[in-house]
Amino acid sequence: MILNLMPHLVNGLTLGLLFALIALGFMLILGLMEQINLAHGSLFALGAYFAYAIATPRLPIPPDMLQAWAAVPLGWRYLAAVVLAPILVAPFGALIERLMRRTYGKDPLYGLLLTFGIAMVLEDLIRTVWGTRDYTLPVPRDLSGGFFFLDLIWSRYRFWAAAFAVAAIAAVWLIVERTRFGAMVKAGAHDTEIVQALGIDIGRLRTGVFIFGTMLAALAGVIMAPIWGIRPHMGVDAVVPAFLVIVLGGVGSFWGAVLAGLLVGMVVGLSGAYASEWSLLSMYLLLIAVVTFRARGLFGKKSALEA
Amino acid sequence: MAAALSGTASYFGPWTHNRVWAQGAKPIKLGLTCDASGQYGNSGQDDLLGMRMAIDEFNARGGVLGRKIEWITADTETNPATATRVAERFIAQEQCAFLLGAVHSGVANAITQVAAKTGTIYMNTNSSAPSEAGENCSRVKFVWDGNGTNFSKAAVKNAVERIGKKWLLLTNDYVWGHTTSASTKALVEAAGGQIVDNLLVPQNTRDFTSYLLKVQQIRPDVVATAIGGDDIKALRQQITDLRLEERTAWINNQQDWPDIWGAPDSLFGVFGTTWYHKLALPGVEDFVRRWKAAFPRSPIPVPGNVSYNGYMATRELLRAVERAGSTNNAKVIRALEGHKMSAADRMQHFDAYIDPVTHQVQQTIYLAKRNTKPSDPTDLYEILSQTQPQNALDDAAPGKCKLMPFEQLPSYEM
Repeated sequence: MILNLMPHLVNGLTLGLLFALIALGFMLILGLMEQINLAHGSLFALGAYFAYAIATPRLPIPPDMLQAWAAVPLGWRYLAAVVLAPILVAPFGALIERLMRRTYGKDPLYGLLLTFGIAMVLEDLIRTVWGTRDYTLPVPRDLSGGFFFLDLIWSRYRFWAAAFAVAAIAAVWLIVERTRFGAMVKAGAHDTEIVQALGIDIGRLRTGVFIFGTMLAALAGVIMAPIWGIRPHMGVDAVVPAFLVIVLGGVGSFWGAVLAGLLVGMVVGLSGAYASEWSLLSMYLLLIAVVTFRARGLFGKKSALEA
Repeated sequence: MAAALSGTASYFGPWTHNRVWAQGAKPIKLGLTCDASGQYGNSGQDDLLGMRMAIDEFNARGGVLGRKIEWITADTETNPATATRVAERFIAQEQCAFLLGAVHSGVANAITQVAAKTGTIYMNTNSSAPSEAGENCSRVKFVWDGNGTNFSKAAVKNAVERIGKKWLLLTNDYVWGHTTSASTKALVEAAGGQIVDNLLVPQNTRDFTSYLLKVQQIRPDVVATAIGGDDIKALRQQITDLRLEERTAWINNQQDWPDIWGAPDSLFGVFGTTWYHKLALPGVEDFVRRWKAAFPRSPIPVPGNVSYNGYMATRELLRAVERAGSTNNAKVIRALEGHKMSAADRMQHFDAYIDPVTHQVQQTIYLAKRNTKPSDPTDLYEILSQTQPQNALDDAAPGKCKLMPFEQLPSYEM
């Protein structure tokens, strides 16, 4: 029994780390600006598309350079995609933040509607540039294929993606908890006026956080592309679990998001194996179960309105 | 200068022919209910190209009954609720005489319900749940793709005898998946095989690892999938990544061309289709050439089964209007029921006909596998067999389908 269960637990854990990776950027933006960025999924998709453009020799560059780029081993092209795609998506985040400024301090509904509109524009932009067909992000030989474990074949790439997610989560934790930037972000989330009074430019801080969150979304898109495939509406596949993980973990809680990501991954993985018709619904049922008893999520801070 | 040039050009050409339509004749308007987004967005747009080609060809010859054919389309979003709204708008506001489209069976069923209220004829071009010409059949609807049972009948018996008796089903959790898998199960058991498990896959599943782990744990002889659209693309990619296609026999009930174009490396196992652009039959080459000339910028460079079905459904509808000499729905339905189509005319191996009892097009069913010696980058299939329509018949459908009597059919003429 345990031997049968083990592969599904390992799979759930891997999946959970990837869900947490998708949710991190979303959480940072929500934490500081109290804005739900519904365009997060589109930035995730842009990351995947840019990575595809970089990793496959289709760049809009002169033919000689293109040939030279095609001759570069796939491993290097993939590495370039991982590094460059988030950098290329960053300006989109800066632009969205610029557009959002007028909504700060107002009814959150304005920001919600604005980012929803931006998400639709970005998806249409993707359709215009890349069309509606699907693409596959090629991965280096060393990361593709499977290996035997517990008498089953496992995807090498999925384990690499999980390891990458662990490293990314650790890096984000270090930045938020151990750097001056992180301290400013946390302080800004707690009390904007005091932070401004201390001479910190809250506007620039917000732009910085938005760009950082955008790059994390794009990075998650690059990592998930070989698993999910690249298609125009892949952003929706990402933003829904990201939102769910944040609410489940408790808004603004770093470790809440990580734990919620793992829980969602476990539930989806196990239900896929043992009650397959419930596998997509299971994450919503988990959310309902948690918020029924703990409305602020697992690690959410107590609201002033609560008794 | 430009004005002078254009004035001269109007005398010396080149120019396009502007047909003189029957004096005062109102155009016949078609509502094309095609997905542009969602699980079947790619297929829906490929379907649309086939329909447009047929319409353009009719208009180039002078339309139908001297009337121009106009068309309108809207994204049904692979969503039955959206499809209902689109169909209602097309009939009530746009005054469409006929509806055509759908890849997703839930979408097709939703359009049928709307169309039946007004008696509007609806060509279900590409959705292939056995229920479409079974319990969900309708006097106003005609089903143009082969259905899940047709494909299962062409594949299952042979596979049970030659590959093994232990079968696992992977089923998309909606009407097409369920009805197709039910039919596969009955045929496997009738052939002496056994279904060891049926894993239901929710629509829009992107990560299939837990299902693939179960496949590996159960170790069936054959995995029969009824997964469609974007879902089957993701599944195929993940199976090939793990090289699982080499450890188990895979049978995919039906492989739509837009779902495999662009990812030929993940084409494995045996799969069904109703048409292939390299069938060695008269007319195929000419059709492909016309299609490519009509859509030089199509993201898919050659027509596949989905575009073919869209073309055939539209062409036969317009021909039926011509035979009926009217757009009166009852007359057009009568012109379609039992209509025979020669193999040469449909570019298939055997003659086809529209079953008057179920409104399903009974046609040649092909089984194929990946072509290991392609003649060009589009030559992905190797056709293994062609099954005659009568040998792939869905025997259960006539018992389940109850068509509305003509006396109760709401009548219209546009």
